[in-house]
Amino acid sequence: MNAITYAPALTAGRIQLANVRARSLIVARIRLLVILVLFGFAAVVCLARIAMLGLFESPARAASLAEALLPSRGEIADRNGVPLARAFPAYALWFNPDALGPDAQGKTSPLVGTPAEVARRLALILPEADEAELRARLSVRRPGYLQRRLLPEQANRIHALGEPALEFPRENDRYYPQGSLAAHVLGYVAADGHGRVGMEQILDQRLLDPALRGKPVELAIDMRVQGALEDELGRGMLETEAIGAAGVVLDVDSGEVLALASLPSFNPNRVDRAINSLVFNKVTNQVYELGSTFKPLTVAAAIDAGTVTDLARRYSATPFGVGRFTIKDSHPLGASLNVPQSLMHSSNIVTAHIADELGPARMKATMAALGFNERPYIELPARGFPLWPAGEWPRITTMTVSYGHGVAVTPLHLASAYAALVNGGIWRPATLEKVPAGKAVKGRRVFKAATSARMRQMLRLIVSDGTGRKANAAGFRVGGKTGSAEKPGVGGYRKHSLVATFAAAFPMDKPRYVIIAMLDEPKGTAAASGQRTAGWNAAPVVGRVVPRIGPLLGIVPDDTRDVDLTDLAPLAPGFGE
Amino acid sequence: MIARGLAMRRIGWVAVLAICFALLFALSLRVNALKSEVRLAERKIVTLRHETIYLETEFETRGNQQQLAQWNAVEFGYVAPGAGQYLENERELAALGKAAGPDAPAPIRIAAASDIPASALPTMVSPLTGKPLGEEDEPVDAAPVDHATATARLGERLATVEHPKAAEAARPARAFPEKPAPDKPAPAKPAPDKPGGAKP
Repeated sequence: MNAITYAPALTAGRIQLANVRARSLIVARIRLLVILVLFGFAAVVCLARIAMLGLFESPARAASLAEALLPSRGEIADRNGVPLARAFPAYALWFNPDALGPDAQGKTSPLVGTPAEVARRLALILPEADEAELRARLSVRRPGYLQRRLLPEQANRIHALGEPALEFPRENDRYYPQGSLAAHVLGYVAADGHGRVGMEQILDQRLLDPALRGKPVELAIDMRVQGALEDELGRGMLETEAIGAAGVVLDVDSGEVLALASLPSFNPNRVDRAINSLVFNKVTNQVYELGSTFKPLTVAAAIDAGTVTDLARRYSATPFGVGRFTIKDSHPLGASLNVPQSLMHSSNIVTAHIADELGPARMKATMAALGFNERPYIELPARGFPLWPAGEWPRITTMTVSYGHGVAVTPLHLASAYAALVNGGIWRPATLEKVPAGKAVKGRRVFKAATSARMRQMLRLIVSDGTGRKANAAGFRVGGKTGSAEKPGVGGYRKHSLVATFAAAFPMDKPRYVIIAMLDEPKGTAAASGQRTAGWNAAPVVGRVVPRIGPLLGIVPDDTRDVDLTDLAPLAPGFGE
Repeated sequence: MIARGLAMRRIGWVAVLAICFALLFALSLRVNALKSEVRLAERKIVTLRHETIYLETEFETRGNQQQLAQWNAVEFGYVAPGAGQYLENERELAALGKAAGPDAPAPIRIAAASDIPASALPTMVSPLTGKPLGEEDEPVDAAPVDHATATARLGERLATVEHPKAAEAARPARAFPEKPAPDKPAPAKPAPDKPGGAKP
């Protein structure tokens, strides 16, 4: 009964229940499906991403190995591959006052500590920095460099100060590991990223060219020779209290400049201190009347032209007048001198006589053939124009030029001329680029080979027995000529301001290198035995440089070898004593 | 039956294609994994190369020519070699020798002979006994050593541990007081009974 009574209700409830169950089952299935679809979609997206990453390279691929290793500016090396200038990623110290958040009112300090405290601690890390200046810089909210270059360990120590406002941007900088060595040859790179002064300026395009800058440019310079030359010139300059010095070492057969020094110098790492007076290149830009160093050139021209045929012929050594001028020697040298004696004792009078016989046309032609009428041949941008008398030379000009007055040239001109004088007579332009063996410029013949051989003997005689004895480095067969020229001033020459030059070549039996040492206004100090002339100050510099550079350049000192001077011996009394 | 075979073949082709694609995919993944490894290696090379440049530059700066010249001037004083330090050839080397004086002893001449048979050499004789080498090794009067027994007993001898205490007991008494044996407790330090001897 009960069952009958409840049956319809029970059935209805069961059907309802079944409906509810079915419905919730459907809902659950739909939800499950939705979740499945979502998961499936996510999985597909993930797989697609993996496939994309796996199959295709990321577009933002890092620069290739070669590109990453390419320096921002090419390296400059010496002839043996020693780097002289290189791109160097360095740290700078930058003050960013907004690192702790911008502050419009300027009330909050940009630093964690006080500016005074931070400046004090910075000054302990940076030995060159000025604490007061740092404090002033840190006190105002103005971003800027505190120092352009930091050592990594300094950067670490500054980082340890815990000041977020002190940042270390990594910058590509030009660095010169050898400091001021060869500064005039190299020059420097200014803030605009372009070279100035030296080869940095000349090679600017080459050094910045992405196709070429990976390979270092090798110069003709030899770092060791350059170092020795600068060292000894600096010493000579200090000893004689000269205001400046210049020197050059030149390969006589190729014209390569192995060393070129102009003192006082500058440090290309500190461009801010590279002031004009230091950057000025005395070897290629400053012209000087180089005095008696011209005499061998005059004698060679006369021998070449055939006006001097007999070296034993004696010329009058008594002062004589030409127009208003009187040509005289620094001290009386006797009544007459022959040609070797005139060079050994450096007689203006005899040289003037020889030049007079040679004549102005041939004198001028020889000087022009030696390149004295144009700027020196070298890659450097600063090249001085010689003081060159134009037109037909009067007799007096010919005579004064014969002993190095009236024509002003750079020391580099003289070096090239001496190279031609000793190498067999071929003049070649000087170059700072390394010349591969056998690829030297052909050059032009200025002197005959026989004349050159004769001049080698006489130059050797000057050093072994004449005014250049202090340059006689044992075993190196040095030959050369002194030159002490008074500097022109207001109303004539200044008696006590000299330019002392020594032009030399070695070894004289087969000359390989020409070396010029010049001191500007040396004083007669005790080190120079109270003398201002080149034989006492410039010659000793050469005498000290040659033994230092000779073995490096493959020239073995040998006491048993020398130029054969036996035929000149009778002409130069005192020889061989 | 034919239709079923066709279907099977089609499924087979699809499966082969799928397998090929899967292999290609795996290969591409492998290639790119290698590529990224190469990239990582390249990055490492770049870092190391930069470090090398840095260290090289630092070395060159610290050892620059001016610095070395200054050190040499102050510390070492090395100078370039002079003419006397060079020898060009054997002739110059020979020239350094002196000619023998009239009363000089005859120079010792040394000659070398080769290809001599070993039997031709005289027997080496001991300078002490005057006997040929090898015969005088063992004195005749010494008791013959029984090598076999000695070797057999070697392990036993090495294994025997001599106890320090036993050694102590075995040793005869000495006239002077001895240090305590290491295994004995060290005698107590004197009590700090003296005034001032005590430490806080």
